[in-house]
Amino acid sequence: MAKSNSKLVVEIEDLKQVFETTTNKLIKDINRHDKIMARTDKDQMRELKKLESRLLEVEMLQQSQKELLDAFIKLIASAIDAKSKYTGGHCERVPELSIMIANAANAATHGIFKEFSAETEDEKRELSIAAWLHDCGKVTTPVYVVDKATKLETIYNRIHEIRTRFEVIHRDKTIEALNKKLNGEDVNKVDIWLESEHKKLIEEFELVANSNVGAEFMKDGVKDIIKNISSRTWTRNFDDTIGLAHEEKKRVLLENSTTPQVEQLLSDKIRHIIPREDFDYEEYERMGFKTKVPEHLYNLGELYNICVSAGTLSYEERFKIQEHVQMTLVMLEKLPFPEYLKNVPLFAGAHHETLIGTGYPRQLTIDDMPIASRIMAIADVFEALTASDRPYKEPKTLSASIKILSFMVKDQHLDKDIFQLFLSSGIYKVYAKKYLLPAQIDEVNIEQYL
Amino acid sequence: MENLVIKETKYTPKIVLDTNGIISLTGKSYPENTFEFYEPMMKWIENYFQTDSIGMTTINIEITYFNSSSSKLFFDFFDLLEENSKDNKIVINWIYDEENESAEEAGEDFIEDFEDLDINLVQK
Repeated sequence: MAKSNSKLVVEIEDLKQVFETTTNKLIKDINRHDKIMARTDKDQMRELKKLESRLLEVEMLQQSQKELLDAFIKLIASAIDAKSKYTGGHCERVPELSIMIANAANAATHGIFKEFSAETEDEKRELSIAAWLHDCGKVTTPVYVVDKATKLETIYNRIHEIRTRFEVIHRDKTIEALNKKLNGEDVNKVDIWLESEHKKLIEEFELVANSNVGAEFMKDGVKDIIKNISSRTWTRNFDDTIGLAHEEKKRVLLENSTTPQVEQLLSDKIRHIIPREDFDYEEYERMGFKTKVPEHLYNLGELYNICVSAGTLSYEERFKIQEHVQMTLVMLEKLPFPEYLKNVPLFAGAHHETLIGTGYPRQLTIDDMPIASRIMAIADVFEALTASDRPYKEPKTLSASIKILSFMVKDQHLDKDIFQLFLSSGIYKVYAKKYLLPAQIDEVNIEQYL
Repeated sequence: MENLVIKETKYTPKIVLDTNGIISLTGKSYPENTFEFYEPMMKWIENYFQTDSIGMTTINIEITYFNSSSSKLFFDFFDLLEENSKDNKIVINWIYDEENESAEEAGEDFIEDFEDLDINLVQK
């Protein structure tokens, strides 16, 4: 019994040993697990913090990238504004006005505004960038300085040259009168004749000079009279092929330049035609531009220009001006806009389209014209009408500007709903207060337009 | 017995097991199945101590990132080394980058847990 007892004791001791070893191993494992867990937790926290700080960094980078992009956009816009007095602060004011209208359109829920949204930051940004860049193509519009080829070349109103020719003919008549007197003609009769000749010349000059302004539509009858006046002649005794840069000389040498030369008072000459060179018609078509391209780049003909029916721009110059939207599109479509800004070119490049396909450059109609573009179209016209910093025109009053907008709405050049929103929201007043001269701001009865 | 080299992948370390007594682990350790991945290594080492050990073995471990099951496996790995440390001279270099706190702390855990092993923390 004692023996088996002691055997049992040994077995128990062995079992205790196994139990202890196993327990120790278990405890060790548990401790290790705890350590691993604690370290993993710490690691996770470290990773999380690292990720958070990276995220912050990325966000800051994104923000600074956005700011950089904005700065570039504003740089382009201000470059256009600074380039020419003719546009002034246009590029800066159009986005401001567009955003004001877009906010109102966003708040409105009736009619077309149901589908319009400018709520999110991205949507606002898209519209804003488009408005800032709507005229960016104008950086390519030539200014006379860029093309200046001789010292005396400048933007020059040729009426002064033509007036000088009138002066020449005026003196020719005086000389003719003196010659008549020398030849023994009746002095009184000659004086009466001279007076009437001079008077006629002065009247003719006035007609030509007044036609030069382009404030009124020129009727065909007036054109005929001017053509008649143009056929008066004067004799040129000086060489008109010297003092020219080679481009102009090339054109002038195509004419008969011997002296003395009998010249017309106003003329259309070969030298006046500036050929259109290197125009990419294929690309033009590929871009979807529909505006007819004039054969010549410019026609500087005197008679041709003075007979421009409306405004001051010839057909060729009007195309050159309209080309700026084409350039806007060409430039913007090249930029790698991210998805949320993909409509920038479309929005920016359609502000001269109308609702009925008579605009430019793509002759879009209302269905293809996004609301953002229709907003910009109104902002563009309103700013241009009310601006008081353009050297070529007097600023219009608020009521006159709105009246013109209403005509354009009637002709379906501008969108009626946006126009009415522009009025009913009172945005026109807010804008006027900020940018119009006090003398421009008058009472507007908006009821008649709503 | 032959040397064994396991190539490095994006998530697993390069393992070099040299019968001349040089063992090294370099890279990251996020295997899909940790114990399966390290099984050839563990078997090789067991075998190595039973047959080929030349008395001096240097183990260089430079694992930059590792998951928790890799941590667990390293404990098992060090258990195996400890078991053989009486009959073999074993030096373990736990190599970590100065900025890698996680690796440094893991090394400290191993030192604490394996008093009989000669573990050096080597800062790069």
